[in-house]
Amino acid sequence: MTDKLNKHRRAFVKNAISASTLALVASSGLILPQRVLAHWPTDAFTADTVEDALLALLGQAEDISDEKVKFKVGSPPKYAVNGASVPVEIETALNNVQRIAILVDKNPNPLAMSMELSSDVRLPFKNMIKVAEESTIIAVIRADDKLYRTSRKIKVDIGGCA
Amino acid sequence: MAISARDRIRIKLKEGDTTVRVLLAHPMHTGRGKNEQGELIPAQFIQDIRCWRNEIEVLTIKCGTATARNPYFSFQLAGGEAGDKIMIRWVDNLGAKGIAEAELL
Repeated sequence: MTDKLNKHRRAFVKNAISASTLALVASSGLILPQRVLAHWPTDAFTADTVEDALLALLGQAEDISDEKVKFKVGSPPKYAVNGASVPVEIETALNNVQRIAILVDKNPNPLAMSMELSSDVRLPFKNMIKVAEESTIIAVIRADDKLYRTSRKIKVDIGGCA
Repeated sequence: MAISARDRIRIKLKEGDTTVRVLLAHPMHTGRGKNEQGELIPAQFIQDIRCWRNEIEVLTIKCGTATARNPYFSFQLAGGEAGDKIMIRWVDNLGAKGIAEAELL
């Protein structure tokens, strides 16, 4: 008698677990759009200064300056005719890169983008940003829970923050 | 406002790793630009871009207004074989969305 009861209990527990997992998966798929928007760090992207943006994004503004990060800005380097699309390329010898943030110090809102990388992603990472005027472009990388910061100065002929 | 141009992904296997290049069609208005009549164009920019490989999320990019018009990205994924599916989804601040998919040949 008790044996049979136990068996039933097993089956019940098993079913209950798989049902709840399924529900979880389904709901996570359904609520994706809201989750996407809710996770946009508004404070970080609307901050006026580099320090504020980093504080809002990473919770700290202090970081280690490091030359292990290869960071190319502009083409030819350090110069851009049109600030509306300035190529940026980031490469690093660091392992376990978790996050990369790109900031432009003279832009109205310095934080240009923030990327979260899974272990599958390899650098170099390339993309284009807008630069309002001659300024310093900063790349902050979090790898192995440490922050590394590199910056490059760039000259811009036509500002591109319109 | 409908966005007519299409998003494009190019993927290539190179020395065992997958190179992914993405070009999204989006005006990326910062809210500071003006049209020909001198009126401000309201802000419209992509906020969130996500990338999946075979249903596994590999990369999340959060953008501010300082991302250039028609955003371009390129990055590498470790490993990869023919038949891999890469999917990109984006959402902008007004809720417009886009999906682009490509298969590794």
